[in-house]
Amino acid sequence: MLQGQARPAPVGLWSRAEGDRTGRARLCIAALAVLYALVFALSLGSGASDMSFWDVMRAWLAGEGDNALSARDSIILYDIRLPRILLGSLIGASLAVSGAVMQGLFRNPLADPGIVGVASGAGLGAIAVIVLGGTAGLGPLIGLLGIYALPFAAFFGGLATTLILYRVATRRGQTSIATMLLAGIALGAMAGAFSGVLVYLADDQQLRDLTFWGLGSLAGATWSKIWAAGPIIVAALCAAPLLARGLDAMVLGEATANHLGIRVQRIKNAAIVAVAAATGASVAVAGGIGFVGIVVPHLLRLTIGPEHRYLLPASALLGASLLLVADAVSRMVVAPAELPIGIVTAAIGAPFFLWILLRRRGLLDL
Amino acid sequence: MAIEVQDLGVFIGRKKILSGVELTAPPGIVTAIVGPNGSGKTTLLKALSGDIAYTGEVRINGMALSSLKPWQAAVHRAVLPQSTTLSFPYTVREIVKLGLLSGRSGARPEELATLPERALARVDLAGFAGRFYQELSGGEQQRVQLARVLCQVWSPVLDGRPRYLLLDEPVSSLDIKHQLAIMEIAAGFAADGGGVIAILHDLNLTARYADRIAMMHRGRLVACGTPGDVLTDEMVSDVFECRIRVGAPPPNGTPFVLPQSAEL
Repeated sequence: MLQGQARPAPVGLWSRAEGDRTGRARLCIAALAVLYALVFALSLGSGASDMSFWDVMRAWLAGEGDNALSARDSIILYDIRLPRILLGSLIGASLAVSGAVMQGLFRNPLADPGIVGVASGAGLGAIAVIVLGGTAGLGPLIGLLGIYALPFAAFFGGLATTLILYRVATRRGQTSIATMLLAGIALGAMAGAFSGVLVYLADDQQLRDLTFWGLGSLAGATWSKIWAAGPIIVAALCAAPLLARGLDAMVLGEATANHLGIRVQRIKNAAIVAVAAATGASVAVAGGIGFVGIVVPHLLRLTIGPEHRYLLPASALLGASLLLVADAVSRMVVAPAELPIGIVTAAIGAPFFLWILLRRRGLLDL
Repeated sequence: MAIEVQDLGVFIGRKKILSGVELTAPPGIVTAIVGPNGSGKTTLLKALSGDIAYTGEVRINGMALSSLKPWQAAVHRAVLPQSTTLSFPYTVREIVKLGLLSGRSGARPEELATLPERALARVDLAGFAGRFYQELSGGEQQRVQLARVLCQVWSPVLDGRPRYLLLDEPVSSLDIKHQLAIMEIAAGFAADGGGVIAILHDLNLTARYADRIAMMHRGRLVACGTPGDVLTDEMVSDVFECRIRVGAPPPNGTPFVLPQSAEL
């Protein structure tokens, strides 16, 4: 058959019209929701203790007052497994969605908070709070913010980096991919240098805190961390779908988005704040976990297409599932010890990033 | 009711790109902007689209462009850029459907679901809906963008007000058949009561399809009128800075292709 000739009438569940992938996207989101539920259930039942998923279910179905779970199992479930699963889900979703939003904002598939220095900027904010938190200047403010001090500082670090990056990489409404990646390297190095100075200034106790924070791990998941980062992440995730229409239009360039009736400046500002908030909150509680934001949206675009109103929720679900799986892997590879989860995502994600680069070298034209 | 430009000036940095442009593009006709490279054609169209800051005044149907919000302006005019590249794998249908974002295509509700297909058929791309935009040739991409633009202002008149197509070199990368097809669409839009402003490079095509020609030279509008008035030996030679004779075949006998001799 000749390319471009009329094709047979559309058949099947999702092909209502040729080139219309909305049905397929909805089906895919439903499948991803089922996948997430499965991963969630498996994670509840897996860990160092031998309590299985069925033990948990039996206990929950039996209802309150029934002592189906021993006191030990109850602690393991509610204070170790559940917070870890929830935090992993929140962070996975936030990393994947902020990757997708950032790629939409910069109109290229290589933008990712971890790669272009936003995570380093957020990290600098977090380190500053840990090291300078006790000083006279910052102490009262940090005391006021309480558990939110770390996520907020990371948010402002990420926000500053994203703003500078956008300023540098975008000229007359078009973003240069090469400039963006190079500016990201420079910003990452600068944030790294300042972080180094702060680490040099830190005392022994602060160094311990920094080390645990910087491992990039879900191991320290607690309810207080969920309360600190959760609201910020949930707010960013809820705001993301409102950007979908605008991000779709921006794919054609800022001028065309404006011609289509989109308030471009507002969409840009909202996207930058959402990316900084989601990245900052994640970095504050779990350190640097790379590549989720680039792998997840890219895989999804291959399946359901790049329309953001489906891409963003699908990214959240797949990101959460993927991070829970990576967490399980990080606990199993060197059991009974565990790898920082950042190592697992980097081991999977970095080759994937190279693969995208190889397939789409034309994009860069360096 | 028209697009009216009064004393328009554009500065980029301290450099004056446009000055003193006065132009009226009424509905019902095709207004062509012609001129040599660097004469300010695209800058003029960008000012009319609201992409760049300008001095003077631009009014669409009596309303100052500067006072319109993006979604309000999107109701009155659609803009076709010179070329658009994408870095994500959108299908042709998904791109064309973006034209419906502004929500005022003017098509009847029952037409909306199939509007992308109808727009694609208009630009001679029926059956391309499922293809990936990035895999199309430059000329096909340009026609996909035109289909998107047509979706945005599907009916040339909405609520009793004319709407406008602003086209930046709509036929620059097209073969002769599709040059004619696209110009027929523009002429049809004008015949149905809408207005068209198009930057054109091909003076022959301009002579055939434009009802009014605005000729730019070094950031100024030097002539505006019917093709017969504007396309004179003297004017064209002055503006394009080479000796041109209008209406004469090449003197040395080399073969040439005359697009107007083709018919759809």
